[in-house]
Amino acid sequence: MIELLAQAFIGPIQETYFQKALIGGSVAAIVCSVVGCLVILRRMAFLGDALSHAMIAGVAGGYLFMKLLFQVEAHAPAMLLGSLIAAIVTVASIGFVSRVSRVKDDTAIGIMYTGVFAGGVVLVSIFRNYIHIDLMHFIMGDVLGVADHDLWVAAIAACIVLSVIVLFFRSFQLTSFDPVMAASIGMPVVLIDYALTTCVSLVVVSAVSMVGVILVVGLLITPAATAYLLSDRLERMMLMSAVFGVTSVVGGLYLCVWLDSAGGGAIMLFCTFQFLVVLVVAPNYGLLARWFRLRRMVPQEVMEDVLGALARGGGKPLDAAAMASFAETRPDRLSRAVRAMAREGLLQEERGGYILTANGEREANRILRAHRLWETYLQHVGAPAEELHPRARDLEHVHDKASVDYLDDLLGHPTTDPHGRLIPENHVECRPGNVCSLSLLRAGKIAAVESVAREAGAINLRPGDQIAMGPRSNGGSVWTVIRKDGSVIAMDHHTADAIKARVMDNDRGTPRRP
Amino acid sequence: MATEMPDNHVPAIEVKNLTVSFGPRPALLDVSTTIEQGLLVGVIGPNGAGKSTLIKAILGFVKPDFGSVRILGSPADRARGSVAYVPQRGAVDWDYPITVGEVAMMGRYGHVPWWRDPGPQDRARVDQALEMVRMSEFRERQIGQLSGGQQQRVFMARALAQGADVLLLDEPFSGVDAATERAILDVLNRAKAAGRTLVVVHHDLATAAEYFDRLLLIKQRLYAYGPPQAVLNSELLSEVYEGTLKIFSALPAGGKPA
Repeated sequence: MIELLAQAFIGPIQETYFQKALIGGSVAAIVCSVVGCLVILRRMAFLGDALSHAMIAGVAGGYLFMKLLFQVEAHAPAMLLGSLIAAIVTVASIGFVSRVSRVKDDTAIGIMYTGVFAGGVVLVSIFRNYIHIDLMHFIMGDVLGVADHDLWVAAIAACIVLSVIVLFFRSFQLTSFDPVMAASIGMPVVLIDYALTTCVSLVVVSAVSMVGVILVVGLLITPAATAYLLSDRLERMMLMSAVFGVTSVVGGLYLCVWLDSAGGGAIMLFCTFQFLVVLVVAPNYGLLARWFRLRRMVPQEVMEDVLGALARGGGKPLDAAAMASFAETRPDRLSRAVRAMAREGLLQEERGGYILTANGEREANRILRAHRLWETYLQHVGAPAEELHPRARDLEHVHDKASVDYLDDLLGHPTTDPHGRLIPENHVECRPGNVCSLSLLRAGKIAAVESVAREAGAINLRPGDQIAMGPRSNGGSVWTVIRKDGSVIAMDHHTADAIKARVMDNDRGTPRRP
Repeated sequence: MATEMPDNHVPAIEVKNLTVSFGPRPALLDVSTTIEQGLLVGVIGPNGAGKSTLIKAILGFVKPDFGSVRILGSPADRARGSVAYVPQRGAVDWDYPITVGEVAMMGRYGHVPWWRDPGPQDRARVDQALEMVRMSEFRERQIGQLSGGQQQRVFMARALAQGADVLLLDEPFSGVDAATERAILDVLNRAKAAGRTLVVVHHDLATAAEYFDRLLLIKQRLYAYGPPQAVLNSELLSEVYEGTLKIFSALPAGGKPA
C-alpha cells in the first residue's frame, strides 16, 4: 500500500519531463498569481483574457518576420517580442477607443482583443505553409512538453516582473487603490498603468506555453482570488497567492499524470477546486464561517424577551422551559441567547435557573421602560386597545436613549402604562448625584435644587433648597414638591422641566414595586 | 387618472405619527405633519437626519414601523399615480441612448398598456410638460448633451408628464451653478403655479428661506414645519445641527431674511 502511494508520488518526479513541467509551471504560476492580485483588485480580469488572445497575432507576426527575412524557423525571442508588441498595441487601442468614444471599457476590450486575435488567426492560416506552429498547442498549451527555452522565458519574465513589483510596490498599491490621489502627489499614473499591463503581458507570454491561451487567465486570477478570501493585506495576499499558484501546478500535474489528461486543464481544474474549498472554509469570508456567524448571532428580540421574562418574574430564577413561554422562538435559539447573555454578564445561574445580574436588571428595565412608553404612546395617538401590546412589541426595539427620552417627554413623563403597570424610571438621569429636571423625578425622591430657569421664576424655590418629590396629581399632569418645612408646591410639566435638581442618595423610604 | 384638479381642501401630504427604523436607531420618530396643496416645501436637516427616508416613506418605498402617510386623502400605497419622484442627477447613466422627448414620454409608461402605443393625449401631456420646464426645443437631444440644470429639468418634465400632483425632488440643486439654480427654481415655481405641490430635499440653509414657501426641519423627529422665518431661527438650528452654530450666525435670529 505504502509502496503504491510512494510509486504514485515519487514515480513521476523521477522523470525529466515532469521535473521540467514542475519547475516551469511553478515559476509561471508564481508570477501569474502575484500580478493577478493587482489584476483582480483593479477589476481587470477580462483584460488578462484579452491579452492572452491578442498574443497569437504577435507570435505569428514574430515568426513570419524571422522566417521571411532571415530564414530562421520558430525564433523564440522574436515571437516573444511579437507577442509583447501585440499585447501593448491591444491595450493602447482599448484605451484609445474607450477614451475617444462613448463606448464603455468592457465593450472596448471585447472589440479590440477579438480584432487582434482574429488578425492572428487569419495570418496563421494564410501563411500556413510557412508557419509551423500548432494553433491547438497555442490554445491548449502543453505543460508536459515544456522545452528548455520555455523555461528560460518563464525565468526571465519572472525575474523582471517580480523585481518591478517589489521595487514599485507602493506605486502599484496606491494607483490600484486611489488613482486620483496618486496623480495628485505626482505619481505617473499612466506610466504605472502601462507598467502593469506590460507585466501582465510578460506573465501571460510565459504561461501560455504551459496552460494555453484559454486557461492562462485562470492562472492569473484564480490563485489571487483564493488569497483574497484569506487575507486583508496586499503583501500577504500576494504571498499566499503565489503559494496557491504553486500548489495548483503541483496538484494539477499529479492529477494529469494519474488521469492521463491534458496538463493545462488538470492544473486549472485543481486551481478551481482549491478556490472552491477555500470559499467554503475561509475563516472570515468563507461560507461556513458566515453560516456559523449567522447561527451564533443571537437575535436582539430574543434577548429582549428573556430580559423581559426575568424582570416580570420578579427575581425568581427561571429555567429555559419557563422562559420559552414568554419568548416566541425556537428552544435552541432561546438557550443560545441565554448562554450569550450569561457570557455578557446579564444573567447568572442560580438554583436550576437564571436570574438577572445588576447589569441585566438595568438592561431589562431599560427595555421594559421602552415597551411601556411605546404602549402609552400608542394609546396617546389613538391606537385601539387590543393593538397596544403587539404594536409596542414591534416598536420596542427602538429603545435608544434619545428616542425613549423623547417619548417620555412627549407623554408628560407618565409613571404607569395604559394597563396600569409601573413604567421604570429613567435610570441614567435619575441616578443619585446627577442633575436632572424635576419632571423626571418620581414620588419619594429627595433632591437639592440646582437652578431655576426663568420660566419657573414664579415658583418659590431657590438653588440649594432641599426637597422631596410628592405624588403626581390630576392624572399625572401636576407635579408636587414637598419643601423641608412641609409646605407643598404644585407645578405643571413645563415648570418642572425648567427646574434642575441634584438627586440625593436617599430613596430608602421609597416603596419598591416589583 | 388625476387629470382634474383635486379638492383644494384635502392636504397634499398628510403624515401621521410616522416611525421608521432600520435596526435599533429610528430613521424617523413620531413625525406628523400636514402639507397643504400648491406649496413649494423645502426639507432641511443634517446628514443622516432621515430626509431621504421621509421622501421614500411618502413614496411608499419603505414600510413604516408605525404611522401613516396619506397623499391627497388616500393612503400612500394606493396613491402611486399621484406622486412622482425626481432622482438625484448622480443616479442616471447620461450616456444612455435616449432623447429628452423619450425620457419625458417614460412618464406616461405607467398609463399606457404594453399592447398600445402612446396616443395623442399622451403626446400632448409630454409636450405640455416639456413646455413647462422650457425644454421643448431640446426634445431631440440625447440627454448627455445637456447642461446640469437642463438634465434636472428633463426629469422634472418626466415627473410632470406622469400627471402627478405631488412631486418629490431629491436635492435638485446639488452640483449646479447659481444661474442654473435660478433656472431650476423658476421651473419649480411654474409647476407650483400650475397647482402642483413640490417637496424638495435641500442642503443649503443660506438659500432655503428665499426659495421655499415652507420649510420642514427634521432630524429623526420633526423639529419644525412652517414659514422659513419661523423655522430658521438660530436656537432651533443649533439644536438640530448640534453646536455647529457659527455658520448660522449670518442668519437672522427669527427675523425676516434680507
